[in-house]
This record gives sequence, C-alpha cells and structure tokens, in this order.
Amino acid sequence: MHDGRFDPSGFYEFNLTGGIIRTRTGERVAILSEDVLCSLVAAAARDGDLTPLRRLGELLGEHVLGGLDRPASVLSPEAVLGHASAVTSLFGWGRLTFERWGSALVIVLRDRPELDEDELGAAALLGGMFSEISQRQVSCVPTGDSKFIMVDFEVAETVWGWFKDGADLPAIVGMLETKRAS
Amino acid sequence: MSKREDRLRSLLDKVRAKRPEERLTRAADALDRIRTASGTTAAVQQQASPPVPAQAEPPTVPPTPVPRSFPSQVSSSPLPEPPTSPVVESPTRYSSQPPRVERPLSVEPRARSIRPSSGAPPAGTPPRRPESIRPQSVAPTGQPVVYATDPPEFPRPKTFGDLLELTLSLRPR
Repeated sequence: MHDGRFDPSGFYEFNLTGGIIRTRTGERVAILSEDVLCSLVAAAARDGDLTPLRRLGELLGEHVLGGLDRPASVLSPEAVLGHASAVTSLFGWGRLTFERWGSALVIVLRDRPELDEDELGAAALLGGMFSEISQRQVSCVPTGDSKFIMVDFEVAETVWGWFKDGADLPAIVGMLETKRAS
Repeated sequence: MSKREDRLRSLLDKVRAKRPEERLTRAADALDRIRTASGTTAAVQQQASPPVPAQAEPPTVPPTPVPRSFPSQVSSSPLPEPPTSPVVESPTRYSSQPPRVERPLSVEPRARSIRPSSGAPPAGTPPRRPESIRPQSVAPTGQPVVYATDPPEFPRPKTFGDLLELTLSLRPR
C-alpha cells in the first residue's frame, strides 16, 4: 500500500513583485473572500451552470493525483483520503472525510464556504475532484448534513430527486442496490 | 602704527569674522544635546533654524522601509511554508494519511453497516425498514422481535478502486 504522505510545504509560490500566486504545478490562483465567492457561486447555481466549480474540482483532483505515485484505484481508501483532504484544506474548501454506508461511498465536507442553499456548488466541486481522481465520471449528490453520496452519473438525478422529496441518507441508501453495469 | 599693531588688528578682525560661525556651531552642539536628552527634535529645530518655505522642509515622516522587507530582485522565490496548516479530523469511517503538519487521525476504520430492506420499494416512496416479523406467542415484553432478513455485514473494500466500484454500481431498486 502507498505510504506516501502529502507534503504541503512549498505548495504556493508568491511572486510579490509580479503580484502572482502560483501553485507548485504552475497554475495561477487568486484569493477570494468567502462573501465574493458565495455570490459568484449562488449566481452560477441560479443560472444552472456550475461548470467552473466542477472544473475547479478537477484541478484539485489533478493536485491529488500529482501527489500519488500510483493510480488512486490501487491505493487504500485512507491513502486517497489523506491526499484529497490535504488538497481540499490547502485550497480552503473545508475538512474532507469518507464514510461508507453499506456499499455507498459518502463524501463529507465540513467547514467549507457556504455557497448555496442546496449545496450544489460543493457537489459540483466534489464531483469534478473525484472524477479526476478516479478517472471516471462520478457525481456527488447532496444528502444533507454536509454529506454527498457518490453515485454513477446516470443515477444522480434520481437520487437528487429522492433527497428533494425528503429522503435522508439512510433512506436513499436503502433505495439503492448493487448492480453491475451491463 | 607699528607692524605689531597692524598684525593684532588683523587678528582681531579675523576673530570677529569667525564669531557668528562659532555661535552657530555652539548652538548646533546645544541642539544635539537637547535632541539626545528629550527626543523631540521638531520643535527645537524650528527654534534653531530660520523659517524656510514648506517645500524646502525635510520630511518629518521617513518613507516606509519596504525595500528591506521585500527584496525586489528575489521576490519570486517561494515562501518557505504555506500560511495554513491543514487539519483533517476524521471521526468517521476512514482515517486518512495526513500531511506531516496534521494531527494523526483515528486509525481503525469502523464499518457502519446499514440493514437493507428485503423488498424492493418503488422509486420515489419514503424509506422502508425491514419488515418486522411479529411472533404471536413468544414476545415476553410485548414488543415485536425484529429479524434482519439479510446479514448486516458488507464486504470491506481494500482499495479505493474497490470502494469506487461498489458505489458506482448502485442503482435504484
């Protein structure tokens, strides 16, 4: 199993003369206040286009993959979580943990910026992040209490409908069953 | 006049001519002493020096010493440490392997198993608990005895890929 830990030192490079902040992979980033960020995300959610947040999640996922010496699929859940939670923290998106409810993997993201009431901004971010990490298209559907159930892209809309109809996480898991994709 | 008198007068004139400078020098010395003693220079300077136009006054507030704090030539080098130390606490199922600066997490992942229902509920209906089996004659407390129809244990994935396969294979019943 992979024992490498995420090394946060030197993650950011501050060019004070040029006024530029870059991550150690070279991409330029900017610091936003939470208020401004929330306004932007709320507007995007109203317009139904959360693509930029999903793209940001993919960038976070690229950082996670960059810290792994093997594909995430062959590593332990703890190893992947360690890197994913470190990257999430470094970008100020809160504390990331995993839960498993039956066969379902549930992502918990606490102390994150409060973006929109339905948590769709955080769902888009996590969906992009774990799609990049797993190299598959996944969706993270909000289920309340800062928890997001990870499901296949095709069933995300159904699960979201259950939650909007009042089903909580145990109920949602109870309405799902394992079926191998044909 | 004798040569000696001429010489004396010449010397006297020189001394008179030098006196104003000597006074200024003494005044300057006195000023320095006052500055050292009180630390208030501005008022003393105004008294000692003649008034000058405002544009010619030296600035009383020195400029901010930015260059010493931020060297302009090497500022592109990375700072030694990020300002924040990520702290990850995982009271739930999976503990992570945290960065060096983090606190260690709880080690043992505990499986929180759910008890799946035995039937297939129609989509969109509220959740159902497993059907209770109500023996008619053996419940000493009058409460129903509930039997699980499926074993509560779920296979524990060893890799993230296994976990991913499980969760992505979930479909509505």
